[in-house]
Amino acid sequence: MRSARSIAICTTLALFCVGADASRAAEALVTNQPADSLSVVDLATMKEVARIAIGGKPAGIALSPDKSRAYVTAPDGRELIEVDAGKREVLRRLKLGGGPLGIAAHPSKPEVYVADWYQHKIVVVDAAAMTAVGEIAVGQSPSGLAVTPDGALLLSADRDSNQVSFIDLATRKVVATVPTGARPFGITIDEAGKRAYTANVASDDITVIDIAQRSPLPGSVKVGRRPYALALTAGKAFVTDQYSGTVTVFDTATLAALKSIDACDHPEGIEETASGDVMVACWGDDVLLRIDGTSFKVTARAKVGSGPRAFGRFLR
Amino acid sequence: MLQRLAIVVALFAFASAPAAAHGPSRQKVTETIEINAPVDKVWAVIGNFHDMSWHPAIAKTEGTGGNEPNAKRKLTLGSGGTMDEQLLKYNAENHSYSYEITEVDVKTLPVNNYSSTLSVSGEGDKSTVEWRGAFYRGYVNNDPPPELNDEAAVNAVTGVYKGGLEALKKKIEGGG
Repeated sequence: MRSARSIAICTTLALFCVGADASRAAEALVTNQPADSLSVVDLATMKEVARIAIGGKPAGIALSPDKSRAYVTAPDGRELIEVDAGKREVLRRLKLGGGPLGIAAHPSKPEVYVADWYQHKIVVVDAAAMTAVGEIAVGQSPSGLAVTPDGALLLSADRDSNQVSFIDLATRKVVATVPTGARPFGITIDEAGKRAYTANVASDDITVIDIAQRSPLPGSVKVGRRPYALALTAGKAFVTDQYSGTVTVFDTATLAALKSIDACDHPEGIEETASGDVMVACWGDDVLLRIDGTSFKVTARAKVGSGPRAFGRFLR
Repeated sequence: MLQRLAIVVALFAFASAPAAAHGPSRQKVTETIEINAPVDKVWAVIGNFHDMSWHPAIAKTEGTGGNEPNAKRKLTLGSGGTMDEQLLKYNAENHSYSYEITEVDVKTLPVNNYSSTLSVSGEGDKSTVEWRGAFYRGYVNNDPPPELNDEAAVNAVTGVYKGGLEALKKKIEGGG
């Protein structure tokens, strides 16, 4: 029903639909790691509408520029898996070896970057051919990855080197390393491409990096215990604190804490929606949580598979 | 001077090794048990972070900080090993506390990055105790030996939970 209506709207507004996935609704694609699956959650109804078998203990996720494809890392299977999000099916699998975990997609071309957390490198994958086309050595146990909105730089949170590597994507060379707090895991770049934020699991804080200056802002933002990842919306940052079970909110202009929201057991992947909510994967409770970005209230919960992580960009 | 600095840096890196990389996927164990007793009675037995005497494997509990977040306890097992643990959250109203293991030898418990929640809920004379654990296996790299793989970690934690919960039920229902 929904997809039929989307197609009708697309026909009327054909101009806006070029290159878009006609079956697209606002959805979350949630990797359920122990359950070996990907849950598709309709964000309008907050109901799981499909569950796709993935295998290999899926954890990381990134979406193609048109959001029609999901790229999922499976650290146990040591694979990258391509999923057709609209058709709810696995298309291709690429054996990478090592420990593929963090992943990011280029904003405009078919290229994805996979962090190998055991072999301390990033693998460049041509997503059209689904083949590895390059490798970039970085610090120890690279985890979260993010690409600047202009597609020029890839940032890697090198967890066990307490740094972020800046990679020039034209030359695929590390052009700078920036120190962070202890064990940076998730990394998020703002819409303007000016700042990057790392969630430092061992120092329970956030490092804010000025991307142009290639340096951290002085100090750090204290959050809850064992922060995992971070989402940005309307001048606020939302941080999942795995051990505290909270989402810490702070103002990105003043870096002052605004709220610690009681969320769930082991909140992990987090991303903002177009309408100003944030979605949180709750690993311990097997739910996807919706938090209102203004009132900071939990407004809905969708049941998903066991052990949701959604480490990366997972909303389309 | 530079050489000395290099040695200090190398030592620091080594000293912080236990917090380094972990297995590829976090494991999950949840065990529950029904107890024929009111919640308050069960919570009175398990609700003190510094008293694990209800668990048959624990010979001694020592610690500081009461039932406040960041309180620390050291558990000594009957078999001799120890576990250092820290309280993350304590909620008397919901009869629940969460803690993490800050230090354990993988020979004692083959896990890394372990966190857990112990809680009790129920109505009238019936209670359900739930013990939830989140952890990585003992081996931090790919291709673990069998005694340090995911299955070994899950089996060990399941054994600790089941052994504890069964003993707790017996203790409370037996009037102990």
